[in-house]
Amino acid sequence: MAVERLLKDEATEEKGDRARMASFIGAMAIADLVKTTLGPKGMDKILQSTGRGRNVTVTNDGATILKALHIDNPAAKVLVDISKVQDDEVGDGTTSVVVLAGELLREAEKLVNSKIHPMTIIAGYRMAAECARNALLEKAMDNKQDPEKFKSDLLNIAMTTLSSKILSQDKEYFAKLAVDAVLRLKGSTNLEAIQILKKPGGSLKDSFLDEGFILDKKIGIGQPKRIENAKILVANTAMDTDKVKIYGARVRVDSMTKVAEIEAAEKQKMREKVQKIIAHGINCFVNRQLIYNFPEELFADAGILAIEHADFDGIERLALVTGGEIASTFDNPESVKLGHCKLIEEIMIGEDRLIHFSGCEMGQACTIVLRGASQHVLDEAERSLHDALCVLTQTVNDSRVLLGGGWPEMVMAKEVDELARRTPGKKSHAIEAFSRALQAIPTIIADNAGLDSADLISQLRAEHHKERSTSGIDVISGGVGDMEKLGISESFKVKQAVLLSATEAAEMILRVDEIITCAPRKREDRM
Amino acid sequence: MAAATAAAAAASASSSARKGETYTDTKRRDDVRMANILAARAVADAVRTSLGPRGMDKMIASASSGDVVITNDGATILQRMSLLQPAARMLVDLSRSQDSAAGDGTTSVVVLAGSLLRRSLSLLSSGLHPTSLSDALHRLSLRAVDALHAMSIPLDLSDRGSLVKSAATALSSKVVSQYSSLLAPIAVDAVLAALDPAHPDLVDLRDVRVVKKLGGTVDDTELVRGLVFDKKASHAAGGPTRVENAKIAVVQFQISPPKTDIEQSVVVSDYAQMDRILREERNYILGMVKKIKATGCNVLLIQKSILRDAVTDLSLHYLAKAKILVVKDVERDDIEFITKTLNCLPIANIEHFREDKLGHADLVEEVPVGDGRIVKITGIKDMGRTATVLVRGSNLLVIDEAERSLHDALCVVRCLVKKRFLIAGGGAPEIEMSMQLAAWAKELQGAESYCIKEFAEALEVIPYTLAENAGLNPIAIVTELRNQHAKGEINAGINVRKGQITNMLEENVVQPLLVSTSAITLATEFVRMILKIDDIVTVR
Repeated sequence: MAVERLLKDEATEEKGDRARMASFIGAMAIADLVKTTLGPKGMDKILQSTGRGRNVTVTNDGATILKALHIDNPAAKVLVDISKVQDDEVGDGTTSVVVLAGELLREAEKLVNSKIHPMTIIAGYRMAAECARNALLEKAMDNKQDPEKFKSDLLNIAMTTLSSKILSQDKEYFAKLAVDAVLRLKGSTNLEAIQILKKPGGSLKDSFLDEGFILDKKIGIGQPKRIENAKILVANTAMDTDKVKIYGARVRVDSMTKVAEIEAAEKQKMREKVQKIIAHGINCFVNRQLIYNFPEELFADAGILAIEHADFDGIERLALVTGGEIASTFDNPESVKLGHCKLIEEIMIGEDRLIHFSGCEMGQACTIVLRGASQHVLDEAERSLHDALCVLTQTVNDSRVLLGGGWPEMVMAKEVDELARRTPGKKSHAIEAFSRALQAIPTIIADNAGLDSADLISQLRAEHHKERSTSGIDVISGGVGDMEKLGISESFKVKQAVLLSATEAAEMILRVDEIITCAPRKREDRM
Repeated sequence: MAAATAAAAAASASSSARKGETYTDTKRRDDVRMANILAARAVADAVRTSLGPRGMDKMIASASSGDVVITNDGATILQRMSLLQPAARMLVDLSRSQDSAAGDGTTSVVVLAGSLLRRSLSLLSSGLHPTSLSDALHRLSLRAVDALHAMSIPLDLSDRGSLVKSAATALSSKVVSQYSSLLAPIAVDAVLAALDPAHPDLVDLRDVRVVKKLGGTVDDTELVRGLVFDKKASHAAGGPTRVENAKIAVVQFQISPPKTDIEQSVVVSDYAQMDRILREERNYILGMVKKIKATGCNVLLIQKSILRDAVTDLSLHYLAKAKILVVKDVERDDIEFITKTLNCLPIANIEHFREDKLGHADLVEEVPVGDGRIVKITGIKDMGRTATVLVRGSNLLVIDEAERSLHDALCVVRCLVKKRFLIAGGGAPEIEMSMQLAAWAKELQGAESYCIKEFAEALEVIPYTLAENAGLNPIAIVTELRNQHAKGEINAGINVRKGQITNMLEENVVQPLLVSTSAITLATEFVRMILKIDDIVTVR
C-alpha cells in the first residue's frame, strides 16, 4: 500500500533542494538585513514595535535587531540564535557572526549548484575553519606581562568596539571610561558591579564614571542628607503594617476604647520593630518595600537615613557593593551582616536628586552615569557601552589581541587559500569558498563606508602577500592603512567565537535536507 | 539584491559589473532615508509658523475627549500631535530634550533640524555618503558652539536687570507677551528665591511651585513669599479662617475614630452600649484635639489618607472649637515641599506631637480668589528656599498658556544660573554662526567643505522664519542682516517691532547662551541620527 499521507493535515514538509533553498534564502536574508550595520561607518536601523505604544528603537547592535525580529524561517532562527549566544558569551561581534555565516552559506549555495555534495562542502569548511583558527592563534599578540602596553591594548579594543556605535564621536572618552571601570573589577567578570545609570539631558560628553553606587531614590523627610561612615542595613520587610496572614482573622470588641487600644498596640508593635532595627547600630536603612509615615518619623527622630521602595535590582546591587546582606528579620542583630560605606549624600544629576554611596566595601563597584539628548540616544549608548564592557572583561581574562579593520580576516583568508592549494580533491573548492567568505567581511566594511571595495580588497590582498603585514582598511581616510599604527585592535576571543560559531551554524544549515512544519496543536473546542 | 551582494562577496569578480549592481543595492535604503527626512521635515514645517515674537499660535483639538489647547510652545504642540512615523516621533523627543535641557527654544530646535534635513537631502542626492555628512555635522556643531561662546556676554547673578530682560525675551513670543513686564520679574525672583547659596549653580525647579487659579486676569498673577494651598480651610462649625502668629503642624495621622489594621468589629448588644460607644468616640477625639491644643498649635495641615477618613465632621467640630485652622487633604507628595518651606517636621503620630516640630508664620488666612478660596501662609519664620507663584487668568486656556510661558521663563532663568552667559537674540547668533562657518568651510577641503557650506546656510532659517512670521520681506531682511554682521556688528538682529535690523543688546533682546548651544547640538545630533538610519524594521 502506498503511503498517501504520513503527516497530519496541516503539517507540511519540504524536501531536498527546495528545503535547502528555503534555508539558504532565509539565512542570507537575515545576514543581508544586518549587513549594513557592520563596521565604523555602518548604518542604524529603526525598530518599530507593532505592539502597544508603537515604541521606536534606533540601534546599530546586531543582537538587538535580530532579537526583535519576527521570523518564520527556521534557518534564519538559527542565525538569530548564534547571534544571541555570541552576545551572551563575548558580548560583541554579534553582527559579524551572522554576516560571516550568511556569506558561508552564499558560497555554499554556489557550490551546491555546481553539484558538489553538501557533505563535501562541510568537510572543506571544517578543514578551513581549523586552519583559520591556527592562523589566528599564531598571529595573536599577548601583552599581559606589560601592564602599560596591556592597558593601551584595552583602550584600543574599546575604541574599536565603540567606533561602530553611537558613541563613536567621543570614543576616546568612553573607551577610557570603560577601561577604568573594567580595571576596577580586577579580573572578575562580574559586570553586575558596574551600574549603568541613564539620565536624559546634557550631552554624551557629560557622562562620567563614578566610584561608588548611585541609587535613584529620595531620602525621607526630615532625615539627614549626608552621612559619613555609614552602616547600612539593607532589608526587605514590610514597614507599613505586620499583617496577620490568616484568612478571616478579626477581632470583636464591645467598645471604642478597645479599638483604640488595639490601634495603639499595633503602633507599639511597629515601634518595637523600628527599635529593633535601630538596635543594629545603623545609621542608614534601605528597604525594598514602602516605609509608612509613622516608622519614617521614628527613623527621622533617631537620625537614621531611611530609603523606602528601592527596587529589587537596586537593593541586590546595593547589598553586593556595600558587602551587606538583605535582612528580613531583626531579632538577632549580631547575625546580620551590615553594609558599610564612607559617605552617603544626596547629589543632583540633571534635574533629579539621587543618593550617592561612595567609598563602598567592595572597591570594584562603580557607576557609569550616561547623559544624552534623548532616551533613544541613551538606550543605544547603554547597549554600546555594554558591548565594550563585555569585550574588555573577556580580554582581561584572555589577553590575546588581534588587529582590526579586516586584518584578521585577510590573514585567515591567506592561510586558507594556501591550504586550498595543498588540498587535492573537491574539498579544495569548499576551502577556497571559505576564504572568499572571509574576505567578504572587509568588503562589506568598505562598502558600508561608501568606498570602492573591489579596489581596496585587491590592494589589501597584495599587502598581505608580504610577510608580517599589518595592513587593514582605514575607513576614515578611505584607503589601506597600518592597523598597528592606527591602534585598531580586536579581542582574540571575540574573533575566534565569530569564526567558530559562524562555521558551525553554516554547517548545521547545510546539513538540512528536509523541513517539516508541525501541525499547530488545536485548541479544544470548549463550546 | 542577493545576487548583487554575492557578487560583492567575490572579490575577484570584475569590478565594473559589480559597481553597477551595488548602486541598485542602495536604492531601498535611500528610500527609507528619504521617507524619514520627508516626514521629519513635514513636522518641522508644521511648527515653523509659531517661531518668534510674531509667530502664530496653534489650536490643537484632541479627537477623543474634544479638549482644546491653544499654544505657541513647540514642545507642547509636538507632544499633542499624534504622530505615527518613527522619524517624526523622534522629532517630538528632540523638542522634549530641548525642553528639559534648556526649557526654551523648543520650536527653534525643530525648525533648525528641519532646515538641516532639507540641506542633507540635496547633499545626498548629489551622491555624498551619509556618514560624511554626519561627520561634517559633528564638526560643525563643535565649531558653532565655539562661535556662540565667542559672542556671548558674561553675566552676574546680581544683575537682576539682565535676568529680567532675558526672561522677557522668552515671554515675548507667547500669548501672554503683553504681561511680560509682570511675569519676567516674577520668574527671576522665584528662581533666585529657590537658589541655594551652598550650590550656586544648581536650581531645582521643583522648589518653585506654580498654583493656577481661575478668575481675575493674568495681571493678578503674583509671587507669594510663603505657601499657597488651592483649597478651602475647613469651615465646619465656624472654625477660624484667619490666624495671626500661626503655629503650624503638618500631620500625617488621622483625627478620626480609631481603626486597626486587623479586621475588627464592634459588637453592640443593647441600647446603652450604643450610647457609650458614641460617647467614647467623642472622648477619644476630644483627647487628641486637646493634645494638639496643648502644644499651642493653631494651624493644622492634614495629609490625605486612603485607609480611613483623615478627619470627620466631629473632629472638625472640635478643632474649630479649639480655634484651630484646618487644611485637609494635603497630598503626600507635597509634604516634602511644605515642610521644607515651613522649616518644620511632619508628625506621624499624636504621641510625637511636640512643639519643636511646629512651623511658625505671621499670618495664615483664607482669601477669596475668583470663584474659589485659597489658603495663604505668609511671613514664615526661617523660610526654606522655595517660592510659589499664583497664576490667574480669565479662562482655563489662558491660565494653561500662562503657566507654560511662566515655565519657559523660569527655565530661562535657570539656564542663566547654570551657565552664566547671555547672548543676543533676534536671529543674531544664528546668522553669526552661519557666517563664521561659511568662512571656515572655505579653509577646508573636499566633501567636508561642501557639506559645511551647505549646512552653514541652513542655519539662516531662523532669522528667515522670524522675518517671514513677522510679515517682513525675509530675503531683504536676511541679506541686510548678513551685511551688518559682515561689517562686524555681531549683535545685530531682527527687530520685529520696528521691522528692521538693530542692535539686539540695545533693544534688550537677550537669551541665555545655553538655549542656543543646546539647540544647535541637539539639532545636529538628531539629524545625524536620521542620516544614519537606513532601514525600518517592524518588530514585535
